[in-house]
Amino acid sequence: MNNRCRRQTVPAILSIVGLFPWLVACGPAEAPAPEVDPYAFAVPAHFPEPTYTLENNPVTEAGFNLGKALFFDANLSRDGSVSCNNCHQQAIAFADNPAHPTSVGVDNRLGSRNAPALNNLAFFPEFFWDGGVNHLDFVPINAIESPVEMDATLVEVVEYLSNSERYRTLFQEAFGITEITSPYMLYALSQFTVMMISAKSPYDEYVLGNTEALTPQEARGAVLFEENCSSCHAGVLQTDFSYRNNGLDDEFPDAGRANITEHPDDVGKFRVPSLRNVALTAPYMHNARFSSLEEVLDHYTRGMVYSATLDEAFINTRGQVKPMALSIEEREDIIAFLHTLTDRAFISNPIFRNND
Amino acid sequence: MKLIQVVTLLSAVAFFSSCTPEVPELQPGTFTLFFDNRIGDQEITLREAGSTAYDYTTEDGQSFNLSTLRYYLGKIVLTGPEGAYFEDEIAVDASGTRGYYLVNEAETTSSSIVLEGIPAGIYDAVQFIIGIDEDGIEQGAAGGILDPAEGAWFWNWNAGYIGLGIEGSAEDSGQEYVDWGGGFETLEGTFAYHIGGWKDVADNENFVNNIKTVSLPLGTTIEVQSDLAPTAHVVVDVLNLLDGVGVDFSTTYAVHSPREGMTIADGISDMFMVHHVHQSAASDSHE
Repeated sequence: MNNRCRRQTVPAILSIVGLFPWLVACGPAEAPAPEVDPYAFAVPAHFPEPTYTLENNPVTEAGFNLGKALFFDANLSRDGSVSCNNCHQQAIAFADNPAHPTSVGVDNRLGSRNAPALNNLAFFPEFFWDGGVNHLDFVPINAIESPVEMDATLVEVVEYLSNSERYRTLFQEAFGITEITSPYMLYALSQFTVMMISAKSPYDEYVLGNTEALTPQEARGAVLFEENCSSCHAGVLQTDFSYRNNGLDDEFPDAGRANITEHPDDVGKFRVPSLRNVALTAPYMHNARFSSLEEVLDHYTRGMVYSATLDEAFINTRGQVKPMALSIEEREDIIAFLHTLTDRAFISNPIFRNND
Repeated sequence: MKLIQVVTLLSAVAFFSSCTPEVPELQPGTFTLFFDNRIGDQEITLREAGSTAYDYTTEDGQSFNLSTLRYYLGKIVLTGPEGAYFEDEIAVDASGTRGYYLVNEAETTSSSIVLEGIPAGIYDAVQFIIGIDEDGIEQGAAGGILDPAEGAWFWNWNAGYIGLGIEGSAEDSGQEYVDWGGGFETLEGTFAYHIGGWKDVADNENFVNNIKTVSLPLGTTIEVQSDLAPTAHVVVDVLNLLDGVGVDFSTTYAVHSPREGMTIADGISDMFMVHHVHQSAASDSHE
């Protein structure tokens, strides 16, 4: 820090010696043939910069595999019955099984919200339907400690892991630590979840310039989507990460964003979800109100109700609900487009598969 | 290769030429902040939660006791009249937390914060924040004093650390007994003030940021260098906070969210004052 001007020669010598490995390392190139490391975090060309603090927690194969072991381990829950994977399954883009419209935790306790799909989390500024959590590392704490999800405590989880020879070895390999602590457990889970990048759908090919990637109907849907939906479901992540009331209700047993801000202006607002892989992730909305994309389009064309915090986009100049004006055919085109957000490579990527 | 050698040479030249050997320079030293938590002129004795032994009285005549008193502080800056400046370095990751500190009345060792590597010079003021601000929390999972499994107070619903926690019992508290299940209960007659909230989002005034900056004159000048180890004795008077915000335990006994915590947070800086300083550690016999 303050070593700019020291008269001792020791630091000077150290600093010169310290440069040597660098010089040696810069010898004649013996560059190995480039290989794609499946465990390297890589930002897709058409994506923004990640928000995740990779500088604190760079992804390694050992860290990723530890995260995977944790993700699939039901012993993280109070009674050994619920793992992360219970509500986040790869085949449906890490969303919950449609048989569980809202999440099901220990003792079959029902959650109040639909477990969201997990993808592209490394690019998210906030998490959960209300955005209460600002950092991916903190996300698993809610699931672990929620009485209606895993109903355990971080203390219990750390104790369980510390008593396991297998985990002691995995943490040693991943982080070089002999004493397991909760932040390293959270780091490992983040290494697993930041790798859930969905960027190889037909829509992505289309965005990257392959006009053949979409059928004529899907391409018509893309235009309609741009006109009607993209002010909220914006950009390649398919969300602007804002919180909005989209007219589901006029009473709000779940106050949504207002639970976090404690502000009346935010009552009934929920995060605009990413639509990536949306064709796989029914049911829809925070409260699992709709079981199909057709029902969702029905809602926006004729089902919205007025309330004080209804989003401006759905209010006309006379202060009334303004439904989307879409013909049956146009709705079908939009739904066809939404299917192009399905990323087969992502849901079949073997690195996420449980090998236990 | 060539470019690297040139860079190496240049940096070596810069390294040596920036030194002027004939001018002896004073070496960095340490500075200690000692936090002396009090209630007015009384020492604090922590009681069992729910105890009805009331040790203290507010200026409105409400009697109370304390069972918990803890606060995070960080981003310590020392400044001097002639430009001396020290900013404590922040580093937060899973391996530990540096630059933020926990003062917990239940752990006497937590009362002293020893800062090292302070540039030699004359200082007359100290500044710090109470709470963990966005620079700390946006680093993600953290070890040491910020590890929730090791006693950190962390809200998971609206992720953030509880910057100031005051709990106790009060004769007038309106709190009734609550059994939360799973072994969690709130005892009758208790109060709990959990002050957190750090989010300060551009274009969104709906958030509450309860992080407070405390700036304290030392009341004198102190000298820091390698063979001097001054200490500032900071009195932290919880009564100044409670009286300053006019707390009424009959209505204010459960404060658990940023917006509820605003009033109490506004009194935080009134708690702190530098009572006196010791120029060197040798003369430091506390009390």
